[in-house]
Amino acid sequence: MRFLRHFALCAPLLLLAGCSTVNFALFHPVGRVAEAEYHYTLLLVGVMMIIILPTFLLMVIFPLRYRKSRNATYAPNWSHSTIIEILAWGVPVAITAVLIHYSFVGVYAVNPYSPDALDGSPGSALPPIKVDVVTTDWQWFFIYPDQHIATIDDLVVPAGRRVVLRLTSTSVMNGFYIPRVAPMIDAMPGMRTEDSFEVDQPGTFEGFSTDFSGAGFSWMQFSTRVVSQADFDAWAKTVQANPNTLPYATFTQLAHPTVNFGAKPAYFSAPDPELFDKVVRDAMNGVAYPVPDSLTESVSSNEGKALVPAPASP
Amino acid sequence: MQVDLQGPWSPLFGRLTLDAIPYDNPIIVGTFLGAATIGLIVVAAVLYYKKLPYLWREWLTTVDHKKIGVMYIILGLVMLFRGFVDGLMMRTQQVIAVGPDSPGVLGAQHGFLPPFHFDQVYSAHGTIMLIFAATPILAGLGNIIVPLQIGARDMAYPYLNAVSLWLTTAGAALIMLSLFVGQFSNAAWVGLMPLAELPYNPGVGVDYWMWAIQLSSLGTTFNAINIIATIVKMRAPGMTWFRLPVFTWVNLSTSIIGLTAFPVLGVALSLLTADRYLGTDFFTVGHGGNFMLYIDLFWIWGHPEVYFLILPPFGVFSEIVPTFSEKPLFGYLTMVAASFAIAGIGWSVWAHHFFTMGMGPDLNGYFSSATMLVGIPTGVKIFNWLFTMYRGRITFTTPMLWAVAGIFLLLFGGFTGMMLSAPAINYTVHDSVFVIAHFHCMVLVVATGAFAAVAYWWPKVFGFKLDEHNGKLFFWTFVLGSVVVFVPMFGLGLEGETRRLDYIFNPQWRPLLIAEEVGIVLYCISIFYFLKMIYVSLRDRVPAGDDAWGTGRTLEWMTHTPVPFYNFAVTPQINALDELAWRRENGLDKVKPETFVPIHMPSNTAVPVIIGVLAMAFGFGMIWRIWWMAGAALLAIIVAVIARSFDKNQGYILTAEEIAKLESKTELASVIAEQPKRAPLDHVEAH
Amino acid sequence: MATIAKAGPNTRLWNAEADEHDTISTRTFGFWLYMLSDALIFTSIFASYAVLSTPMNLAGGPGPAQVTNAVEGFWQTLIILGSVFAYSQATVALKNGSKAGVAAGILVAMALGVAFVSMGWHDLAALTAQGNGYSRSAYLSIFFTLIATHGLHMGIGILWMLIMLVQIARFGFTADVVARLLNLRMFWQFQATIWVLVYVYVYLLGGAA
Repeated sequence: MRFLRHFALCAPLLLLAGCSTVNFALFHPVGRVAEAEYHYTLLLVGVMMIIILPTFLLMVIFPLRYRKSRNATYAPNWSHSTIIEILAWGVPVAITAVLIHYSFVGVYAVNPYSPDALDGSPGSALPPIKVDVVTTDWQWFFIYPDQHIATIDDLVVPAGRRVVLRLTSTSVMNGFYIPRVAPMIDAMPGMRTEDSFEVDQPGTFEGFSTDFSGAGFSWMQFSTRVVSQADFDAWAKTVQANPNTLPYATFTQLAHPTVNFGAKPAYFSAPDPELFDKVVRDAMNGVAYPVPDSLTESVSSNEGKALVPAPASP
Repeated sequence: MQVDLQGPWSPLFGRLTLDAIPYDNPIIVGTFLGAATIGLIVVAAVLYYKKLPYLWREWLTTVDHKKIGVMYIILGLVMLFRGFVDGLMMRTQQVIAVGPDSPGVLGAQHGFLPPFHFDQVYSAHGTIMLIFAATPILAGLGNIIVPLQIGARDMAYPYLNAVSLWLTTAGAALIMLSLFVGQFSNAAWVGLMPLAELPYNPGVGVDYWMWAIQLSSLGTTFNAINIIATIVKMRAPGMTWFRLPVFTWVNLSTSIIGLTAFPVLGVALSLLTADRYLGTDFFTVGHGGNFMLYIDLFWIWGHPEVYFLILPPFGVFSEIVPTFSEKPLFGYLTMVAASFAIAGIGWSVWAHHFFTMGMGPDLNGYFSSATMLVGIPTGVKIFNWLFTMYRGRITFTTPMLWAVAGIFLLLFGGFTGMMLSAPAINYTVHDSVFVIAHFHCMVLVVATGAFAAVAYWWPKVFGFKLDEHNGKLFFWTFVLGSVVVFVPMFGLGLEGETRRLDYIFNPQWRPLLIAEEVGIVLYCISIFYFLKMIYVSLRDRVPAGDDAWGTGRTLEWMTHTPVPFYNFAVTPQINALDELAWRRENGLDKVKPETFVPIHMPSNTAVPVIIGVLAMAFGFGMIWRIWWMAGAALLAIIVAVIARSFDKNQGYILTAEEIAKLESKTELASVIAEQPKRAPLDHVEAH
Repeated sequence: MATIAKAGPNTRLWNAEADEHDTISTRTFGFWLYMLSDALIFTSIFASYAVLSTPMNLAGGPGPAQVTNAVEGFWQTLIILGSVFAYSQATVALKNGSKAGVAAGILVAMALGVAFVSMGWHDLAALTAQGNGYSRSAYLSIFFTLIATHGLHMGIGILWMLIMLVQIARFGFTADVVARLLNLRMFWQFQATIWVLVYVYVYLLGGAA
């Protein structure tokens, strides 16, 4: 018994091996909005510690100190104390008021639609890069209306520019998220949502869907590449020369349920300029892309697999 | 009128065909063989020992709140085990299927569960654990203890009590059946929208989930009515409001939640039913439907639901900590106030479950603030338990160990909950395993409360204590398993792992996933110790006294141990808060009533169990679109209810002589004992 | 609480008379609690109605002004209030112990209730025949659901009244029968209240939009 107790108390230390925060995406923000999220996380957790730490200590001290074998002071009829009540309600009320204040301020700072965290950033003086995001089962379409290009599963943006996204879905609800870069927002059929982010240094990140969407959900990732402005312009020019175009009819073919194993990107020039709005309108009119039972049963099934054109060089 | 469905339909069998039996799935076939074997052994034993009449008369047709409570807890523990196996499968899948090179067996690309099956497993896991394990166990505890704590003979509506039990059982039976006939939902325990609508889920899986929850939530609503009416109307004389034990108060606030929140779930599911059966457009994407309405309605129920689950364990801690600190509960009045504050504020916070759905900063900010407010009464409760222990004389019996562990878990889980309530943090960890770890911390508080209560009140119901040594081994392995599974999970959430992944695309997460698997192995060991504890306790059966722990403070410890079926021979007169402690102080705790009076008891009835069976048939018929079965079952239920209202049976009278005899040989009156048939009355003197 | 109060010479530990409890008030209290849960059902449906009444939810189909007729609704309101009045007369007769009076009141209440439900049914059937059934749009789905849920409750009440007529004839005014009659009164009045809210919110306010 004693051995077991000692082992039990020591074993959790092993978990500290995994505690290196090197991989904690939240703790290594790159985008400005993500930095704000990290800042508020530390602030709010710090304020919470004012109550949590002392309470935790009391939880350890009291049971040990007042166990029967220790014969400590015993007050068998003491069960009320006004001063303790005042503190027990008052201190949490005060701390909660502080937390509420910072949470409210934080909400505006990281608001996906227009985050305060991007005020006064380098990108706010320049026109934003607009990207329309359309999710299907189970791929991500990124349409750049100003550059007249589109990609599947590859979001390329220039550093130092504010990126403004409009999101919708052709099928079910998905969650757009790029850890370390962009705040999470849902992409919903028949509806439009928005997101904003800005990254000042080049880098490569991975985005994915956080809302379960069916059989191919586990393979629904997309790469996010932040490149220099010059590289971005060159890349856009290359894709504009891509022979694959994306008229709406082609899009509806590609939107059929398909699992993109390995998230292989694809590139298109000349997307339909009203593609986003057409997707929203179609969804509101009840256009759906039902998943055939066989694809639900077995993700390896070839039935209903949409044709994905060969990727152009990035 | 009806929607077009994929697949064949016949008038006799509906959508049911032989294809619905997954005979080619080795996991399910193996499970079926195992379950069938256990079932056959149990049935054979019952028949061999000729216990069928006993089972029918004493258990299946009973309206005794204690037996109903015991059956609720048995149901909950069985479903807890099934839910645990689902969790075991999930953890194992996620530790194998890491990275593109991971192996795949049994038809899966990676791991051993193809996505569709994995999705059913986690949907079943969530549904079972919350609705069919935690809720029945807590309902069972309330059923047994609340009438005893207020000095009543039974609940206000014993027949309705039995109906609630059997409706819940019918729902559980449907879920178990979904393993072997058809499939379960892949749209998670919440019913993800619009994924759960017909275009994306034309099969029977979502229907199984829907009807199972509808049946059991009806049972829960009736149970809530019962508890509230019992507490308001059936208290013993002298039991004023502020002499009620905290566990009873907490059950009152919990039941108010149950009464008012569950109808909202019923409406949400009914609208989804209409969409799936009649072709309405509530939550569709076209025709003006708005699936965000479902999400809102669901979580308007969903958040009060989690307080519904956690308040009774708080009440359990409020009973156990004073008893084993040998001191009255600190801050009785504020404990009561905090329970109602939690129940009340809990109604106003639901949108924190979908901060990322784009409501805008004002609404997100409001819901964040409201959610943080709930931390205040919860903190008060923790402080009250702490100051109950302060200057007490603490014995670390198994119930006390569970209570202390539960309070630690509450602290940690509540802290991570406060983190999640801030959108700035939420936008990074929503729908990640950080959220999963948070709410598992909280449901572990429910679990520790449940195990604490079972250990604490077991001697009262059965007359002997659970084995302490194995109980402690169960405790330590369970707590250790919890830590090893869920602490790494918080880390994984911060690393960005999202939830509900069948295949883990980032190999960097492998080490922590392996750690979690070790935790699951520890849980398996804890199950072994749980079973060993039960076995040793049954084998040794060391009799316990009336006040089994020696330091009980509340009314239930004043009955005999094991508690007789009529609870108290003569209704006690209450003189103080913590009546038993008061009597002990005044040297009156051993005084027994001198004269007995006849007691009016309710008779057994077969109608509730019949309604349960019919409800299951109704659900099955609706799921498989077997209209004749559903219609006939519904009609039969209505007829049964109406017919029962014509029943002139008014219960029976237990004479004073019989009571005297039972009081002197208490094992004749226990929950397990077989009672002789007593003639029912045709009418009762008006009183 | 510094000390525990002392027991005195008049301290009573057991109370044998306490077993007599008022069965009727316990039953009506429980039914009142059930009514609270029913109120929440209607609240959720009303909330859904509010959410699904925007132009987007009409999907090009008719809206509140087109599917409701305030004058017809007014007649329905009078009928249901008349039904409640008839039932309350039955309750007065109950107080006086008159079986015939109770039966008469219930019969009139039933007849008016049936008339009410028929009018509602006719409205919904007419809409369906026009092609504006419940699957046309989300708004129509919730409109039908609101009316039909209320109508279903009315139907259950009518069935209940029928059963009470039989039970009064067979058992007379036993405690159980009286409790059921009182519960039915609560139920019936509640249905009328819900209807008034439907009329005001859906017919009057919706129709004016």
